[in-house]
Amino acid sequence: MLPRFKYLRPKSFEEALELLDKYGEQAKLLAGGTDLIVKMKDDVVKPKYVIDLSRLEELKFISKEDGVIKIGALTTLREIETSPIIRENVHVLSDAVEKMASWQIRNLGTIGGNLCNASPAADTAPPLLVLEAELKLTSSEGERTVPIDQFFTGPGETILKNNELLTEIQIPIMSNHAGTAFLKLGRRFAHTLSIVSVATLVVVEDDVFKDVRIALGSVAPTPVRAKKTEDRFRGLSATKDVVEKNCVWVVEDVSPISDVRASAEYRKEMSIVLTKRALIEALDEVR
Amino acid sequence: MSEEFLRLFEKWKKAKGFLVVGRGVRRVDALEKVLGEARYVEDYFFDGMLYVRLVKSTIPHGRIKKIDVSGALRLPGVVGVFTAKDIPGINQVGYALPDQPLLAEGKVRFHGEVVALVAAEGPDVAEEAARLVKVEYEPLPAVFDPLEAMNSKVLVHEEKGSNIAETTKVRKGDVEKGFEQADVIVENTYRTGHQDHVYLETEGAVAVPEPGRITVIGSIQYPHLCQTITSRVLGLDMAQVRIVQASVGGAFGGKDDMGPLVTAKAALVAYKTGRPAMLVYTREDSFTSHCKRDPSIIEYKSGATSDGKLTAIQVKIILDSGAYANRGPFVLWRATMHASGPYEVPNAKVDGFLVYTNKVFEGSFRGFGNPQIQFAAESQMDELAEKLGLDPVEIRLRNILKPGSLTITSQKLDHSVGIGEAVKKLAEVSDFKRKWAEYRKDGGVKRRGIGIACGWHGISTSRGVPDWSNAYINIYKDGSVVCGTGICEIGQGTHTAHAQIVSEVLGIPIEHIKIVGGTTDAPDTGATHASRGSSIGGIGIFVAAAKLRERVEKVAAKLLGCTPEEVEIRDGKAYCRGVPDKYIEWRDLVKKCYETGVEMSATGYFFLPKGTFDQERGQGFAYPAYSYVANVAEVEVDMETGQVKVLRVWPALAAGKILNPTLVEGQLEGAIAQGLGYALMEELVFKDGVILNANLTDYVIPTVEDVPEVMKPVYVEDLYQYGPFGAKGVGEMALIPTPAAIINAIYNATGVRIRELPATPEKLYFALKKARG
Ligand SMILES: Cc1cc2nc3c(=O)[nH]c(=O)nc-3n(C[C@H](O)[C@H](O)[C@H](O)COP(=O)(O)OP(=O)(O)OC[C@H]3O[C@@H](n4cnc5c(N)ncnc54)[C@H](O)[C@@H]3O)c2cc1C
Repeated sequence: MLPRFKYLRPKSFEEALELLDKYGEQAKLLAGGTDLIVKMKDDVVKPKYVIDLSRLEELKFISKEDGVIKIGALTTLREIETSPIIRENVHVLSDAVEKMASWQIRNLGTIGGNLCNASPAADTAPPLLVLEAELKLTSSEGERTVPIDQFFTGPGETILKNNELLTEIQIPIMSNHAGTAFLKLGRRFAHTLSIVSVATLVVVEDDVFKDVRIALGSVAPTPVRAKKTEDRFRGLSATKDVVEKNCVWVVEDVSPISDVRASAEYRKEMSIVLTKRALIEALDEVR
Repeated sequence: MSEEFLRLFEKWKKAKGFLVVGRGVRRVDALEKVLGEARYVEDYFFDGMLYVRLVKSTIPHGRIKKIDVSGALRLPGVVGVFTAKDIPGINQVGYALPDQPLLAEGKVRFHGEVVALVAAEGPDVAEEAARLVKVEYEPLPAVFDPLEAMNSKVLVHEEKGSNIAETTKVRKGDVEKGFEQADVIVENTYRTGHQDHVYLETEGAVAVPEPGRITVIGSIQYPHLCQTITSRVLGLDMAQVRIVQASVGGAFGGKDDMGPLVTAKAALVAYKTGRPAMLVYTREDSFTSHCKRDPSIIEYKSGATSDGKLTAIQVKIILDSGAYANRGPFVLWRATMHASGPYEVPNAKVDGFLVYTNKVFEGSFRGFGNPQIQFAAESQMDELAEKLGLDPVEIRLRNILKPGSLTITSQKLDHSVGIGEAVKKLAEVSDFKRKWAEYRKDGGVKRRGIGIACGWHGISTSRGVPDWSNAYINIYKDGSVVCGTGICEIGQGTHTAHAQIVSEVLGIPIEHIKIVGGTTDAPDTGATHASRGSSIGGIGIFVAAAKLRERVEKVAAKLLGCTPEEVEIRDGKAYCRGVPDKYIEWRDLVKKCYETGVEMSATGYFFLPKGTFDQERGQGFAYPAYSYVANVAEVEVDMETGQVKVLRVWPALAAGKILNPTLVEGQLEGAIAQGLGYALMEELVFKDGVILNANLTDYVIPTVEDVPEVMKPVYVEDLYQYGPFGAKGVGEMALIPTPAAIINAIYNATGVRIRELPATPEKLYFALKKARG
């Protein structure tokens, strides 16, 4: 049963900001509702006001300008999955989105909702982390842009203020040719929440790892970059052997818990396996 | 009675060919389902209808001190709150044993047990009110582990003096001697977990008071059982309670048990308020409060000679029944009698224990005790084969049941035993032996494996438990036909098979036949369970139709100037055999019957002949006949993650006549998917009696990406003397060997054997890791 709440539907972006100013603390924003409504039905959140953003067309777009891909926060997962701009420039994101939920949920769910819900298992986070995306946050007081690795602060928690909303995701297109990959392990082969998910990005020059980025989901309180492991790779020769030897260090970057989906131990070991496979897949792409 | 039937059956067995039986005719309910016209419980609406919600126990075990409903009653829109003391009849719904109340009385025995019903003008108010009902408990120590419960001082039912609800046994020959004769012995313990039915549609019913009676429309499998229990709870005559099935969104046995519990609850509210009342379980209610597949612990010892002949088995089966016995005694009985698998075993000792614990109660689920025991039995066969250096097909064929074999209860199987041929053919079509030998040498990260497992399933009720079939058929003046049966359409297509039987016997097109099923307005036909809907359920239809056919034939013979034996009826026309240009239209023939004093209605009662079972000696007649099944599964194992992809499954059935291959394929595919879920992923996680994953986020079932390609089935039509056209039963079959086939395939791929279901990626990963050392 849905608890009682007051439903507000701003007609414009400005009105949305006003409503947020007014009710911020007691309000929840509704995008696709695929996380929010479930949580409300389960009594996990009980907002007094629900501010429905879903009609704000100005927050639905995918564009590419000046080497940056911009995605409006209300863009649906399905739109991202099918966008030629995304597929051609940053396929690691559409690869991840494609494996999320089901077609029906992807028609409703938005990228902004996935990030702001801040689940450790949010599948768009690892690709955006390795792409070093920036998030534009807006309130009536103005705008700020933050790197995505500073956005998440804990399970279900972000740096968003009560009166702030996520408006845009900005992905810089890399000048050098990078290989990327996304892998996800769940309890079944589709429509599954991650036990571990991994996104990787590699840049190779003269057969040497110039840049290696690894991000994981479901293995820490937030989606995380495996910076220590990444550092080990830089400057090493870009071979499968090197990947196999060094991927084991990824356990130092993660801090998984045990729950009904998997044990911490299994998550640790799978972090290694998926990191290895995702790095090799990314490497294959640039070679 | 059975003589009349046998005469009719023998006559039809001689048929040279069939018009519609054996063909994949389109489902009679296809259109209404595709168009969204079929009405499920929630699609019904009646003026003034109340919505009912459950108040459930929040502790696993305790005494009910007080139920305070005042807060709930104060909420506007709330019409009533009903507890055990509001029940006008008898608050007893136990199936096998009288141990289960409809609404908890005195005590609660599991977390999620229904304590009260709240009725309100709308579903949300009802839900809110349910939360306002304050139940005060005195918590009692609880017991969750069945092994612990067997010797625990904590008693789920004090009056029983023990947590052992039921025991069973089989004793054949001398197992000590048998093991002495054995050259190899394999001994292991197997465990299987809960399985939830996860039907698309949860449990539900809507009850409507009418002058002089009450009608309840429900998601059910046996209208007459719902009627028995509902009338008992209300203190009414059965005749005052009419039960009708709605379209059912999946049942799998769960609604055999839950049907009466929801019809009785909805009816109680309707009876007390005088208003229509709808009760639909939420998915969470369904998880916490409806019966599951019994978890099992099975200790299994098998012995065989060096040439692969089984010499003895010794088996101990412990089933965790949860808080109530429900069907458990019958589930356990079935598991016990099938403990050998479909093999000849000269010496057998099997002991079964059904144990109460303070968890959600268990009940009927496709396979009914057999998936658990065949998983153990068929794992054992592979282990014996491994030790003996035989391949899995070979060891099975050396022991397989054949006509004339004795089962472990020393019942002689005189006919309809097609499993040997099925296994041989299955091994050929799946190229089993070559792949099996090749895959075991496989290296690499992703490894192929292939496995086989067999199963058998006694049809009808066990022992001397009465079983019968019945139906009525009315032929109307225009020649159209209505056939009434208690058998329910629960998605399996049984009413289509029934229409085929009528169409075949009367020789008229299916379009003119209407099956009215799943209602107490039809004769009691027994439950739609135990794979009996089309077969045992179809006997009554066959008999009624065959009786009418003989009456009509006589009239036709006179008109055509031939003998009744020469009359052929097809496509709604009656001919004299060999004279194709002279015929009478069916409609005219029926008119003639009406004019000449021929009764155009018939019932088709048939009581199944049975033997007796000696409980003391653990020997005797177990089931009238068995359906047989074998599956081959081909898998790919990811050695680094423990993930198993089931690539292909080849099913084989020896289930008598295949009445409709399209429907049978549907059953095979669904059963394999459900068996795969049971084998690889489905698992309820409990903490102190509370289910931690009572939702579809964390109770995972297979998706279309997880299910294998199901290959063309092998059918061995080992006709059964009492089945309509020789049909046995199909619905449950392919689930039964699926877990063992998959687990045996995983062994073939990896050399690692999993003995606890489900074989989740995590479990297999750590087993592989351990094996690597
Ligand atoms: C069946 C099912 C399967 C799923 N499978 C997956 C999966 O495989 N992987 C995965 O990652 N997720 C999965 N999800 C979760 C969910 O679908 C996604 O996280 C989705 O992207 C959420 O987007 P939404 O628009 O529906 O968010 P909503 O539910 O509308 O919002 C989520 C949260 O974000 C806040 N919010 C939304 N938009 C903004 C904004 N612009 N600014 C500030 N705050 C905002 C809301 O207030 C709310 O707290 C699944 C969900 C379901 C129901």
